[in-house]
Amino acid sequence: MRYSFFILSVIVSVLFTACIGDDFIDDFVEPVVRLTTIVDNMEEGTTFQFEADYFNNIGVAESAAMEWSSSNPAIISITNDGFASALAMGTSDIKVSVTKNGETVEAIKTVAVTEEATMIVTSRDGTLQTTSSYLLQGDFILEENDQQELVLSFSDNYAASTALPGLYVYLSNNPNTTSGAHEIGAVEVFNGEHSYTIDSSIDINDYGYVLYFCKPFNVKVGDGALSN
Amino acid sequence: MNKLFFIIVIVSFFQTSLLAGGGWPQPKGKAYLKLSEWWLVADRHYTDTGLTDPNTTMGIFNTSLYAEYGITNKLTGILYFPFFSRNYMNNVISRTTGETLIEGEAINALGDIDLGVKYGFFQNDKVAISGTLLLGLPVGKTNAGRDGNLATGDGEFNQLVQADVGVPFNLIKGISTYANAYFGFNNRTNDYSDELRFGGELGFGFLNSRIWLIGRLTNVASLKNGADASTQTGTSIFANNTEFNSYSIEGAFYLTKKLGVSVGYASAFRGEIILAAPSYNVGVFLDLK
Repeated sequence: MRYSFFILSVIVSVLFTACIGDDFIDDFVEPVVRLTTIVDNMEEGTTFQFEADYFNNIGVAESAAMEWSSSNPAIISITNDGFASALAMGTSDIKVSVTKNGETVEAIKTVAVTEEATMIVTSRDGTLQTTSSYLLQGDFILEENDQQELVLSFSDNYAASTALPGLYVYLSNNPNTTSGAHEIGAVEVFNGEHSYTIDSSIDINDYGYVLYFCKPFNVKVGDGALSN
Repeated sequence: MNKLFFIIVIVSFFQTSLLAGGGWPQPKGKAYLKLSEWWLVADRHYTDTGLTDPNTTMGIFNTSLYAEYGITNKLTGILYFPFFSRNYMNNVISRTTGETLIEGEAINALGDIDLGVKYGFFQNDKVAISGTLLLGLPVGKTNAGRDGNLATGDGEFNQLVQADVGVPFNLIKGISTYANAYFGFNNRTNDYSDELRFGGELGFGFLNSRIWLIGRLTNVASLKNGADASTQTGTSIFANNTEFNSYSIEGAFYLTKKLGVSVGYASAFRGEIILAAPSYNVGVFLDLK
């Protein structure tokens, strides 16, 4: 009989040890500073306000002191607030840098000063790659359409596994986690061309990655870095 | 032979492969009851390629009552009642900052109930052949939790029809031995794929059949004639198009003529769309013969 009590004790013990524990994930990413206003050229004699965001070592936007500089101040001058003036014809590299915890990160954009400014169609592209044993591949582009809506479009070489329950697509600044990511929605197309219209609150430069996660299993399936 | 039959009815790799019975039905008026705990904790799962990928640690614990009763000498009633089922997922913590990125969560509920009958078609000293109809009643919770990622059942009513052939024999004097093979078809609803279930077991009884050691092979093959997993929300051990080939060992010890305890371990050779971790069970049984 004492064995029965032992087994019953084991059953009760097992139940009480069925507690929620902790899983640790490596979510470190290199900090980056990203220009959020993009211009390829400026008309001589005009001004432009450059802006940038700093993303820390887990990909979260964080306030930071920024230093702005121009490689050729005679062509484009820029203030410490990122306010640029096109002074003469030519090109100059506009650099923004952030120094935190002894480490400096920077972003550089080459800007031309021309007689007449041209409209720039801003887009960012990339290629999906699987980081799991599930199928995920294809090229994508993030750009504004004619209605000024931000659209994420996938090419006809896109393919994703249908074997996963609850596959979701995100925009993220950290390819290792959905924490802080923008959830675009559940994946409903698994082959070929398709697109998602992104929420109007999202700007084209807000995120650095397209991320695929299996939501129920909470496991990363794959990602693709957005070009700068 | 009744004793042999009693102890081979033990939860196997997953609770859905509960029906390990064999070809021998219960004699009229006799019963077998078992209170058991079955559990599985997994931080990896089998993908559709058969490889394993990591996932947030998930645990499933079932406290269940299993009962058989001989309605006649040929017809046995079967009940599997997981009256307490717990499914949880761990917290996800940032190794960089120590912050909780995703809160863990848990549900406690009934699990899916299996209710059925076994009918003995033929039985003599050399062989026993039976058929079983088992109905899976979807009383467990599905799509629970923040993202619908927790469940204690699959949410579908399934009907398993199974044939068993059991053979007793003696390889070594003083050691009772039997072998059993089964083949079943599991008809599933709600766009879940139907399944073929097949396997076998080999049991050895020692010390005048007071101690039994049983090895099993359990196989589930999905016909993949339902919806894609992508349109289903089932997870863990309840996803659609799940397959596995598993092995298990079970030890059972009769403390008295009626009362006994058992322990079991199961793992898989191969799997698809299912958690990848060993499962364990412990139980206390009453053999009311």
